[in-house]
Amino acid sequence: MSDYGHLAGHRFPGGTYTLPPWLSWLWADACKLEPDWRTAHQGLAYLVALRGAGVSIQDIFDLMDATADSGVVFGEFQVDYHGVLRPGTTYDCEAEVVEVERKSGRRAGVFDKLTFQVKVREEGSDDMTIVCTNSWIFPRAEGE
Amino acid sequence: MTATHEFHVGQRVAPFVIESVEPDRIKTVAAILQDPTPTHLDPAVTRARGMGENLQTQGALNMTWFVEAAMRFAGGADRLVSFNVRFLDNVFAGERFECTGTVTAIDAGAARAELELMATANGRPVLGGTAVIKT
Repeated sequence: MSDYGHLAGHRFPGGTYTLPPWLSWLWADACKLEPDWRTAHQGLAYLVALRGAGVSIQDIFDLMDATADSGVVFGEFQVDYHGVLRPGTTYDCEAEVVEVERKSGRRAGVFDKLTFQVKVREEGSDDMTIVCTNSWIFPRAEGE
Repeated sequence: MTATHEFHVGQRVAPFVIESVEPDRIKTVAAILQDPTPTHLDPAVTRARGMGENLQTQGALNMTWFVEAAMRFAGGADRLVSFNVRFLDNVFAGERFECTGTVTAIDAGAARAELELMATANGRPVLGGTAVIKT
């Protein structure tokens, strides 16, 4: 059975991400909420963190040897806000894998829980804007 | 002294409700997220997997509604300090999503209130977690 524990400490590319105003607006609209050109919906923390980490969902699937149809789901998501996300703002992001745990449950069977954290600051600032800690569940067939 | 009279332990978080989510919105979210998971795109895949006849919403979408419930109760985006959400079950197109909760603690010194939140889809628990807001 493969062990992905060695990925702890793996750093994602990170970099900068500018939150496009159109995307911020479209996100709120798609979610049946009221779009605001001045303030992004704070639920966009997930997208800002993922884009800022410099990886796609497919990249993370690849890292864990999973495919899009392998049943990957969110496990847990935490965000600590030190400021609000704003459309058009550029963010500096650094991201790394915190841990990968092999677990099993009666309902879920065997799975790997990947936890990664993304720290997001406004470009050029030392002050944190948000810290996102995200875990994804990768179902594994017995012996995989 | 910091005013905390707006919130009190045991106070109910006003329900945030999405009466029904349309499949096209799920597809738009998939495009924004560049999420290749086929259960967000093709109902034939959800059917083949025994998940029913309708598209599965994204965790990021469900989480956004969860955050919305906390922000509305707090009084705005800048009132949200943190949240933690656990994903308990899937949500599907056409289902009624509701998120509500309770104030579980007040920290007057730090001017913070803690909320316990729970979301359901057609009455089935789908999200659970907490949020901290400014008082």
